[in-house]
Amino acid sequence: MDSARADILAARDHLQQRGWIARRSEAFHHLPPPALDQWLGAQEPQSCEAPALDGSGWTLHPIHNQFGNHASSGIHARWLDALAPAERSELFADLPLPGSDEAAPFAWAHRALCRLGLRLRISATPGKEREPVWLELRHKPRAQAEAPLLVLDVEPGVHCVLIETHERQADACHRQVAQNLYAHVRLGAGAQLQHLRIVSPAGTDSVAHHVHATLAAGAHYAQALVATSSGYHLQRNHVTLEGRGAQARSAALLLAGADKIDLQNYTRIQAAHCASSVQALALAQGRAHVVANAHTYIAAGADEADVHQRLTGVPLAGNPRLILRPHLEILHDNVQAAHGATWGALPEDALFYARQRGLDEASARALIIEGMARALLARCLGNEDNGLLAQWLQGGWLAHAIGAQLQGDAEVQHG
Amino acid sequence: MTQPTPLLQVRDLRVNVGERTVLHSVSLDVQPGQLVVLMGANGSGKSTLGMALAGHPHYSVQGGQALLGGQDLLQLPAHERARAGLFLSFQSPPDVPGVKNNFFIRTALNAMHEARGQEPLDAFDFLASAKKAAKDLGLPEAMLARPVNEGFSGGERKRNELLQLSLLKPRLALLDEIDSGMDVDGVRAVVALVQKLRSEGTAFIVISHYLQMIEQLEPDAVLRLDQGCIAEAGDLELARSIARTGFARARAQAAEA
Repeated sequence: MDSARADILAARDHLQQRGWIARRSEAFHHLPPPALDQWLGAQEPQSCEAPALDGSGWTLHPIHNQFGNHASSGIHARWLDALAPAERSELFADLPLPGSDEAAPFAWAHRALCRLGLRLRISATPGKEREPVWLELRHKPRAQAEAPLLVLDVEPGVHCVLIETHERQADACHRQVAQNLYAHVRLGAGAQLQHLRIVSPAGTDSVAHHVHATLAAGAHYAQALVATSSGYHLQRNHVTLEGRGAQARSAALLLAGADKIDLQNYTRIQAAHCASSVQALALAQGRAHVVANAHTYIAAGADEADVHQRLTGVPLAGNPRLILRPHLEILHDNVQAAHGATWGALPEDALFYARQRGLDEASARALIIEGMARALLARCLGNEDNGLLAQWLQGGWLAHAIGAQLQGDAEVQHG
Repeated sequence: MTQPTPLLQVRDLRVNVGERTVLHSVSLDVQPGQLVVLMGANGSGKSTLGMALAGHPHYSVQGGQALLGGQDLLQLPAHERARAGLFLSFQSPPDVPGVKNNFFIRTALNAMHEARGQEPLDAFDFLASAKKAAKDLGLPEAMLARPVNEGFSGGERKRNELLQLSLLKPRLALLDEIDSGMDVDGVRAVVALVQKLRSEGTAFIVISHYLQMIEQLEPDAVLRLDQGCIAEAGDLELARSIARTGFARARAQAAEA
């Protein structure tokens, strides 16, 4: 038996011995994930006349950056077959083994099912060391059950701007997908990564994305997530600030519609003079069920850590369940930390202001909601005219997604 | 000679805020191009009149009538009152986070255009006219690209209201303490814009305590609101008298008369 096969069997064996995520699990008890079989692809294929999935997995698309040129020469990409022993070994090299935390069964299931991964190394473009490296990474599912892997290394001092998208082509396939994705993001000393993640699964999909980011000294990581709901949708971030002066910002816009999203953010601050900010805005309606969880751990010795958590839930219509859980664990005295959770309706004064200027109620609501979403993302990614956020917003995806959500909202109200 | 039909005709308007009746019975007429100054002590109901006419959901009309150009305002939802030509300049304009000022105003203008069956505005044409209007009002051009009112000073918020007024060109504008927070140049800008729009037929109801501005506005009428009723009607002399003696004395004098 080759080593790849042995590794897969070992992972399966581990799952069989230890079992799946416990119902009592603190992190998962509000929204328990579907059973293990689904994540291993062990279920009988559904009778479905739709064409087979034709997604291509990870694809890389260098994009025009703010200087108007392609900056792809600093991108080193390797697609690796996890069933070939040598490539699997390279793919998983220097990645941590699944631990024993509450989400570990997901990690073991990933090891058992992973077939393909992408390793990306971002270095400075020769002659353009001061310019950021821009790229777009798209993922489209290749199988009904899959476990994609991404390993992204940003070299010391390099500035990278990344758009990562996970979208289903509505007309391509209606098969239900179970996707258990792991991404390992590692920033070298002084590196910067602006990371915009768009995750928009089909309504029946089960999605679990796990992003593990580690930051060396002086590194800056800004992750903005825009996620729509599905039958099961987990976004779990682990961010570890290992080096002095590292900074992490995350903002999550959860367009829950009338379905489910579980956002779990875990931040560990292990060095002095680090800063972390976690924000989430959840918009939900009908019988949606949204959990947004922020847990920040400040280790002993993390002098002058500066930590903020702000979780906001806005029920748009119906009776959605919005569970917001900010949590701080502080093991050092000399730190600043603030956290809060707010549930509330859209701001009435701003809504009336827009209506007094001639906007009908639906347009006023859409304007205010899109504004709140833009403001959240801008606090994370900045608001420069030629910046990442401005470029993405030009495409109109956000306005379209909010429009779709509000259309659902109107159906909830009338139906 | 018969009087022309007023642009705004308010009769016996009674308004509750929550359980409390704030306006007991207010009647007034405003002709096209006319300017009426509304004065009154704090809590007399001045802002309530504006909010009720504009259709704020917290201001509940209990009785009376309000016609704008013969159209029954009170039967219309808030946005249709705006599209009918009613503009309210807010005493405390709210923030609209994440929505750029120029986008907000262009969306409002396009909503008006759509209601009239007109083509939407070209973005470049709009921006050119918005920049010119901002310059005329002393509002830095950069304010157009910032989120509506976010981080604006009190005076900047009021100038931003004026910017919207100058671009939306309503039939009737109700300016609620537009001068508060304004510097002297801002007050000059108010006067200049009001004069310009009046000459084009826009009517105004101006709520203010600032005599110098009221004098410059050359009002057609001055009304004193007291405990939810129009207690006195006069001309500029009434405003001067109130400025000299205060609202308590004015109330006592009116009672003696």
